[in-house]
Amino acid sequence: MSAVLLPILPPLIAALAVLILRRGSAALALAGATLSLAGGVRLLAGALDGQAETLLLPGLPDMPLRLVSGPMTALLSVAVATVGTFVLVYAIGYMKRESGQARFYAVMSLFLAAMQALVLAGDWVLLLAAWELIGLCSYLLIGFWFQRPEAANAASRAFLYTRSADLGLYVAIFILIGSSGTSEIAASLEVGGSASTAAGLLLLLAAMGKSAQVPLQDWLMRAMAGPTPVSALLHSATLVAAGAILLIRSATLLSPEALFAIGLVGGITTVAAGVIALAERDLKRLLAASTASQYGLMLIAVGAGVPTAALLHLLAHAAIKSTLFLAAGDFQHAREGTAFDQLKGVGRARPWAFAGFALAALALAGIPPLSGFFSKDAVIAAALSGQGAAWLGPLALAGTLLTGAYMGRALRVLWQGSGDSRPVEGTGWMRAGIWGLAIPAAGLGLAFGPLETILDLPAPETAGTVAIVLGLVAALVGLALGWLVPVQRLLGPAHQWAESGLEVAGGLTAWIGRPAMAVARGCDRLEDHLYAAALAIGHTALSIARGGERLEQRLYLAVLGVGRANLAVGRWVRSGDERGIDGLIFALVAGVRDLGARARTLQSGLIHHSLAISAVATAVLLAILFSASLSV
Amino acid sequence: MGRDLALIIPEIAVLLTAVGALIAEMLRQPRISLIIAVIGLVVGTGLTLRLLGTDTTVFGGSFRIDTLSIWAKLILLPATVLSMLLARVDVRGSAREGTVYSLLIFSTLGALVLAGAGDSMFLVLGTLLTGLATFALVAYPDTDPATEAAMKFFVFASVTTAIMIFGLSYWFGASGSTLIADLPAMDTMPLAVILGFVTVVVGLGYKASLVPFHFWAPDAYEGAPLSIAAYLSVVPKIGALFALTQVVRHLPPETGWAAVMAGLAVLSMTYGYLAALVQDNVIRLLAYSSIAQSGYFLLGILAVGSSELALPSIILFAVAYAAMNLGAFAVAAIAGRTLNDFSGLGRSRPLIAIAMVVFLLSLVGIPPLAGFVGKFLLFAAAIDVQFTWLAVVAIINSALSLAVYLRIVVPMYRGGDSASVELDAWLGFVVFATVAATFIIGLGAQFMIVRDIV
Repeated sequence: MSAVLLPILPPLIAALAVLILRRGSAALALAGATLSLAGGVRLLAGALDGQAETLLLPGLPDMPLRLVSGPMTALLSVAVATVGTFVLVYAIGYMKRESGQARFYAVMSLFLAAMQALVLAGDWVLLLAAWELIGLCSYLLIGFWFQRPEAANAASRAFLYTRSADLGLYVAIFILIGSSGTSEIAASLEVGGSASTAAGLLLLLAAMGKSAQVPLQDWLMRAMAGPTPVSALLHSATLVAAGAILLIRSATLLSPEALFAIGLVGGITTVAAGVIALAERDLKRLLAASTASQYGLMLIAVGAGVPTAALLHLLAHAAIKSTLFLAAGDFQHAREGTAFDQLKGVGRARPWAFAGFALAALALAGIPPLSGFFSKDAVIAAALSGQGAAWLGPLALAGTLLTGAYMGRALRVLWQGSGDSRPVEGTGWMRAGIWGLAIPAAGLGLAFGPLETILDLPAPETAGTVAIVLGLVAALVGLALGWLVPVQRLLGPAHQWAESGLEVAGGLTAWIGRPAMAVARGCDRLEDHLYAAALAIGHTALSIARGGERLEQRLYLAVLGVGRANLAVGRWVRSGDERGIDGLIFALVAGVRDLGARARTLQSGLIHHSLAISAVATAVLLAILFSASLSV
Repeated sequence: MGRDLALIIPEIAVLLTAVGALIAEMLRQPRISLIIAVIGLVVGTGLTLRLLGTDTTVFGGSFRIDTLSIWAKLILLPATVLSMLLARVDVRGSAREGTVYSLLIFSTLGALVLAGAGDSMFLVLGTLLTGLATFALVAYPDTDPATEAAMKFFVFASVTTAIMIFGLSYWFGASGSTLIADLPAMDTMPLAVILGFVTVVVGLGYKASLVPFHFWAPDAYEGAPLSIAAYLSVVPKIGALFALTQVVRHLPPETGWAAVMAGLAVLSMTYGYLAALVQDNVIRLLAYSSIAQSGYFLLGILAVGSSELALPSIILFAVAYAAMNLGAFAVAAIAGRTLNDFSGLGRSRPLIAIAMVVFLLSLVGIPPLAGFVGKFLLFAAAIDVQFTWLAVVAIINSALSLAVYLRIVVPMYRGGDSASVELDAWLGFVVFATVAATFIIGLGAQFMIVRDIV
């Protein structure tokens, strides 16, 4: 058996075993994930020695399915398996009280297997299958509590949003296979010209759906209705990451026009989603908006032509965001919810979880020597040095500033307040999961140097002093703002006199806080409008369909009208002849009319009319073909 | 003569099975009738297997033993067995139970004759044989809607078949032969070829329920017993589409027949899904969906003769279509006929609900299910013969179809009350068999293509 299958098969087998045995499901799923991690590490070790493995499986004619292990795919496979393993460890504690364990662990394992297949896929058909599978699994996982209407709703919404964008992937793959003649990803990326631009833009569309980029970000916030381990897995290394991974892997395909569009989408998203995150009043929704914002930063790096920076940030973000979510789940159990009003001061009650959260929050903001500092510097350096630096640079810096601000705000809410808590079951497992991911979130940055050398992509520019200083300043200012602004909001107008003593901070609220809130509200409204527009399009399609049905009814009525007119003519003729014609004929006419009436009750449907349409269609076909053949 | 008879042994077995089932019914032994029918059809399928790879004709070229006709047997005979198991739930204990089984087999025989037709008279014979048996089957429940549906079906079929016979007389007059293979000899008389072709499209198009010859289908499906609707949507339809394939492979390309197929494909797919979007009755919804699926078949049919992919794509999609459509009807037989009946099914019958999701996703064409492989090959075949625009239209329609099928899926998982549903063991078996087929075909298609089986 080829080593490439090692990361995929164990979770797949685990999913089947859970479904069949229906007991010990947590242990089975965890074993599957751990073996998958071991397989990933083995692939990575092989890749470091320069062995690129390829496995061909029988596929469509002339298009074998292939799995490829290179430095990048092996690295992503390890990241997916690491996050998956620790999230499962955590889930043992988190899901203790829930029913439907077998369903949960089976789908989680299947999800993991599908994501590994997506990461390691070497051809478009397999990638497409894996892409659809993770979409389906995410639908099942977000809707895990399907008895709750908001969860069922969120699952359908996530599925529909990402599905509609997936159409882009289908068409892009058609274009790529059609113009290159092969389904192998690496080879098909060689096509140049207009095909590459079209395919690049369509891939961007698919990535926008999965990675929740503006204007398709809405589903991500609502997907918070699912269990927290699901959010942690979805947001870090799997579902949402699939979009960015797709763009990073097809970086060599992208033409300047496509790069411009990617940078633009990423830049707008990182700022807009950052502002939304700042305005959120719920911890999980804040983290979700932050995910969209961070993927915006990765798209900026891809758009600047430095996919390696995007990959590094993706890895750092995977560890950081999963830590944040897992800690949030811990707080959720302690206070029965994640709204800020419920969470005040919970950090004092749950110090271990809070320490992990704080570490990851500082890492995400980009404080040295944590991992986010290095990856964010790489992104900012890419934005400042690549093409379009004039506008990508400021957008990346604004994104960094906002990251600091919303993380500062979250930390403050969690720390200030009274520290009481309900007893939480399964704390040990949850703590192990959180810290298993917090450690890479903190220390991963040290591994970036060696990683850059083994990736077969163009290395990013070494971050210059300018980039480092700008990034650090933005992060620190953001953190300070985030910590300070809510204080002013809490004091409110009653404490205005106290504000006058703090002119500078008050000014900051007026100048930054309020406009930011207004923009955030505007974004929220825009989102509602977009949703309404999407609904309106759906209604239009429905009304066109209904219109077709009405047209059919009208035609039928018209046909009936002709029939009635004939009857009227008949009656008129009869009244003229009544005196001259004898009783025999009269009886015959009456008999025929009686028969007709019986036939009419039998055929209440449209048979005359439908036969007439079929006859007209036949005549049209004949006319078209005759005229075509005569004109030849 | 001996060789010819040896080659049509499966058809002979099917005929004897039909007669045997009828005799058992005459002796008032409906159970034995069912047993004879199932065993006979399974034996017929087994006898067909050894013919795989044969490509020849019998009886002076009038009947073909080729990939299409062999696969027609391999698809339609098992599909008929499953339909009979479905029908058993509807007719068990009624006065004419065995008659239904026997009529189903006679109708299937007609579909097999159509699929292997090498002679225009076989087209007529097959159309009449399937038609006569299915009119009676639709009218079987003896209720007002059923009688009305059967009446409509009969009138529609009579008119379209008459048109076809009229057109075929021109072919005979112009070429002096009823063999389809002799069509190219008429290239000095293009108008006669065209007239005959259009009437064949009418005659077979009604049976395959292609727009605009589809009007009978939703009414007939709704009026007939559910098992008969499932049967009608699969067996006669596939027979007619295969017959159309047998005809067009001999048509000269300059008649422009491929463009006509493309136009009908667009009409069928789009109209079918748009109409399905506003139905509240699941049977009517599935009826319109099956009209749309007929349109997809045409993508493969218009590539016949010019693309290597055409025949495999048609056959594979036919297998996939038979499995997923029968399965969807079987679930409807368990759950009920209206969308409301499906609400809460996800809770009361989770496995059945998952099966339904599998069928519907396969109908949309999502990997790794059977429908995806079939549609993928159909699109590839159409692109192969420069009909890329048509493939794009078909892909867009697939996206539209998701909205149609989600109308069934959403209430299953969101509906409020969930009345518990009785589950007949045989219905459960049909659902299981079709789910298994949907997966196996989806995953095993590569194998079949590589080994040159289809």
